[in-house]
Amino acid sequence: MQTKIVSKNFEIPHANILEVALKNGRYTSLEKLFTYQPQEVIDIIKTSNLRGKGGGGAPAGAKWQLASDFAGIKYLVVNADESEPGTFKDRQIISKDPHLLIEGIICTCYAIGANSSYIYVRGEYEEFSDILQAAIDEAYAKNILGDEAKYPVEITIHRGAGAYICGEKSALLESLEGNRGHPRLKPKSPEPEFYFGEPTLVNNVETIASVPFIIENGAEAYTAYGTDCSCGTLLFAISGHVQNAGVYEAEFGVGMWDYIQKLGGGVKNGKKLKAVIPGGASTPILPAHLVMEAKLDYENLKSLGSALGTGGMIVLDEDTSMVKALKNLLRFYHHESCGQCTPCREGTSWVDKTLDKFVNKTATLQDLEVLKSVSKSMNGQTICVFAPAASGVIDGFLEHFEAEFLECIV
Amino acid sequence: MSFSFNETNSLKIEFLAKRYPQKKALILPLLWLAQKQEGFISEKAMAKISELSHMPYMHIYSVASFYSMFRLVKNEKKVVEVCRTLSCELNGSEEIKKHLLENHSDKYEIVEVECMGACGGAPMCTLEGKYIENVTPQMLDEVLNAN
Repeated sequence: MQTKIVSKNFEIPHANILEVALKNGRYTSLEKLFTYQPQEVIDIIKTSNLRGKGGGGAPAGAKWQLASDFAGIKYLVVNADESEPGTFKDRQIISKDPHLLIEGIICTCYAIGANSSYIYVRGEYEEFSDILQAAIDEAYAKNILGDEAKYPVEITIHRGAGAYICGEKSALLESLEGNRGHPRLKPKSPEPEFYFGEPTLVNNVETIASVPFIIENGAEAYTAYGTDCSCGTLLFAISGHVQNAGVYEAEFGVGMWDYIQKLGGGVKNGKKLKAVIPGGASTPILPAHLVMEAKLDYENLKSLGSALGTGGMIVLDEDTSMVKALKNLLRFYHHESCGQCTPCREGTSWVDKTLDKFVNKTATLQDLEVLKSVSKSMNGQTICVFAPAASGVIDGFLEHFEAEFLECIV
Repeated sequence: MSFSFNETNSLKIEFLAKRYPQKKALILPLLWLAQKQEGFISEKAMAKISELSHMPYMHIYSVASFYSMFRLVKNEKKVVEVCRTLSCELNGSEEIKKHLLENHSDKYEIVEVECMGACGGAPMCTLEGKYIENVTPQMLDEVLNAN
């Protein structure tokens, strides 16, 4: 059931060391890369239908084109701020096959015409980021990176410091410029991101790590995997009440329940499934009957009222209290709201505190109304999608499990 | 006494300054270096960073206070973090926290944190920033008593 494209070298011992990486196919795409013009590389990525793997699923090729077309000094910024609860895939790439990421960065920089790139790694990942830095140092020593390389690329790791919101690309750029991580207003028409006013491409670690395979084997080799609209593979992750929690790469479109059973080893301790949060905490929950028909691709999960997100599934067994689970998540949103927009700063705090009454079984019907109305007021009123995501989480729990909340009303 | 970066860090700063288009971008790296050097970020360190990044002191303070990993007060004890987000809670993080508070809080500062990206190894803790996954009370006792 596993399809290993990005995770091909994960099991190979010491694949983070350059010598081992070279013996296992790393940097072989570069030879082919330099036979193409940069625009041809962008066209290959467009044809491959590669979509951003950080959660949004936006077509990567279109973003590359925007950054390439805009006049100015180009930058590539790799988003390794992985902080979405249930998501721990980028960490595997960084620590198990960092040279794959470096190779992808060289390909991408060449395509968009950038010579400088930054990898924004969440602060907590220090020990994994050290492995990545060692790999970068080795690549510099062998002139794979730096001024003497065939195509000069500089890579600088920029360490975050514990703010979930910096995974949002514009907040990340603010942080990279030396500011608080406050998301920026979105443009009316498509344009690249900007780092100190210069055109910038921001892509997730896994997106960039998927590029070498496409360059080496062609776009068709990539579209051969997955579904018509969700091409290729994803490093899906599985955690919670599951036997074998972990990260297992699979084609888009595989059955969710099949994945949970075959790769996740099924629900822990032989219990029954109650629900799954399909793609990181910010995607609306799916009750068991929907999990049975769900497929792991963007379109199918959207049609079920949820989203694929980062592909990080959290499995909840039959004994889980949905009230407690929602409280856990709302405390997270309350803690992580950046505080810039009032509906989010106040709203996340309000719903978090309201949930306490449900947990303590002292809630009233009015509290349930508060929950619903605050959720509504958080949706569509803010600069970034953080508050709408929190709102979707609340609505999802109430849509499928309202009865459990009603039981907590005195 | 004013704050100054030690020799190793000064060399690092010189190197990093060439990597960023503007000095302002050095703020986060400099805050990290200051914290590594002193164990926390003092007002004097922030004043130094203000000077090096050509930004007002107030801006440095505003940035330093935004990010939860920057410590503006010196910690006397070693820090043990325990993740409390969903996958960890489903796998018993509450019992882990209780065990830590009851048995190790005299020697360690026990801090609850949000998702650390270790959901596959839930429940998890960190000791001085280093990940310890699939923790059990017995395992924690061994690690923390030996430290």
